[in-house]
Amino acid sequence: MTTSKLGKYLSGLGLLGLVIFLCVIPFYSTDYIVSVLLDILTWIGLTQSWIILSGFTGYISLGHSAFFGIGAYVMAILWLKLPYPLIILISAMSSMTLAFAIGFPVLRVRGPYFVILTLGLSEFAKYIFINYEVNVKGTVGRILLGVPNIRTLYFSLLIIAIVTILCAYLIKRSRFGYGLFSIKEDEDAAESLGIDTSIYKWLALGISAFFPGAIGATMALRRTYIDPYSVFDPIVSFQIIVMAFFGGIGKLHGPVLGACILTLISEFFWARYPHYYLIILGVILVFIVKIMPSGILGIFDLFGKAGKVVKFVRRK
Amino acid sequence: MALLECQEVTKNFGGLMAVTNVSLQLEKGEIVGLIGANGAGKTTLFNLISGFYPPTNGSIRFEGDEIAGLKTHDICRKGLVRTFQLVRPFHNMTVWDNVMVGALFGVQKCKNVSRAKEEAMKVLEFTGLHEKKEIPAKELTIADRKRLEVARSLATKPKLLLLDEVLAGLTSTETTEAMKLVRRIRDEMGLTIFMVEHVMKAVMGLSDRLIVLHNGEKIAEGNAKEVSKNPTVIEAYLGEKLHM
Repeated sequence: MTTSKLGKYLSGLGLLGLVIFLCVIPFYSTDYIVSVLLDILTWIGLTQSWIILSGFTGYISLGHSAFFGIGAYVMAILWLKLPYPLIILISAMSSMTLAFAIGFPVLRVRGPYFVILTLGLSEFAKYIFINYEVNVKGTVGRILLGVPNIRTLYFSLLIIAIVTILCAYLIKRSRFGYGLFSIKEDEDAAESLGIDTSIYKWLALGISAFFPGAIGATMALRRTYIDPYSVFDPIVSFQIIVMAFFGGIGKLHGPVLGACILTLISEFFWARYPHYYLIILGVILVFIVKIMPSGILGIFDLFGKAGKVVKFVRRK
Repeated sequence: MALLECQEVTKNFGGLMAVTNVSLQLEKGEIVGLIGANGAGKTTLFNLISGFYPPTNGSIRFEGDEIAGLKTHDICRKGLVRTFQLVRPFHNMTVWDNVMVGALFGVQKCKNVSRAKEEAMKVLEFTGLHEKKEIPAKELTIADRKRLEVARSLATKPKLLLLDEVLAGLTSTETTEAMKLVRRIRDEMGLTIFMVEHVMKAVMGLSDRLIVLHNGEKIAEGNAKEVSKNPTVIEAYLGEKLHM
């Protein structure tokens, strides 16, 4: 009991240290380092928001690129018309509103069909925007001028990432969270125990869509040029899933680890072997999925089990 | 007023009449057994009562309120909960968490997790699962899984418990234990129990009253003795006498 309390205390202290470190580091490092960290924060926020829906309820979404794209577009449309934090908030709300609007019919579909449906819907959203740009506006994309500097964007993303993690953490420990886990385990049994499964899934989807909207908006400023192909890129959805599974979706820190490690690995290989980096990354991923089905966290579990076995043998 | 009252409940799937014009009443504090051969419509009737699908025709009243057509979770919150024939515990949750979900969402709706944990602990002690509370549900034996299924339903604080074959697949000692539990649920918690069961010795011993379904129709009703002597029941179970 005391050791676990001590452990909690230490990990809390570690987290606080990490946050302070992340707040201070941009003032002492180059733009390159800041941009890498910014990437990491982006993916942490995205995977964490994805976990709120897909990790908790088991409804694997391939549609988060759409929420990201909506956020980016709202930012592009409102940029310079309103203060920048306000636009981020509006972008997030727009993504959430869209999620709420499509939620009920979409969430009636279960399993692999849900995965395919979300992928289809996000592609659908992409083509709506392409059509709009080409036929109504007569352009291909949008350029954003006078964007904030990289350190401002870094801090925006830091706040968004922290809020996302906090939100996921609070949900996980709440009554709402237990409702979502029950849906993941067995939706019919959950329903028969008094859980309003349709409302719960719907809320989870809405909350889960809020953060990609905010992140998409911020990333639109980082990229300074957006078009539907780049912000509605399904690769975003795939990358979220890969990172989440890479880290392990059983615990909240799994996806965070996955996002950090995979961003760093891909950055490393991209800088050194630009022609081969995707191949190398692919091989690493196949290898990892093959040997660690429950992600990086699974390795720690293995170590834990091995430790128990050693203890047991020694006692004998 | 009867606790549960079904009037001419009918369900057909396409052309198949799964349940036809079944009327029945359950009084408070009864243990009523529902028996019948495979495919007689027992589980369908349970699914209708618990709201998994709406009846094609007829009315189902619980404490006087019409519940036909309500969603399952609403029916649960009114105090009518069911277990599943093939048990469906939340495999990756601990036994304690499983039961806690019942306490969090059922009739009583504990607002916070720690309160629900306490409530769940009471149910775990009642059902004798408290020593296994930290074990993930998937590591339990079949008998314990069935026990967990019952415990989780009890944690919702129901008035009427529908048990769908909780004794199937148990050894004889386990069956005796489970029967004891069912009786204690009625005697100590004051619940009404409606159970589907194939283990005749158990259902005859436990029930105050039996209802017999055959091809979706109610063919007999009464205590164990009456039902087992009823010619229609004998015919349904053993077949017609050959006239040579």
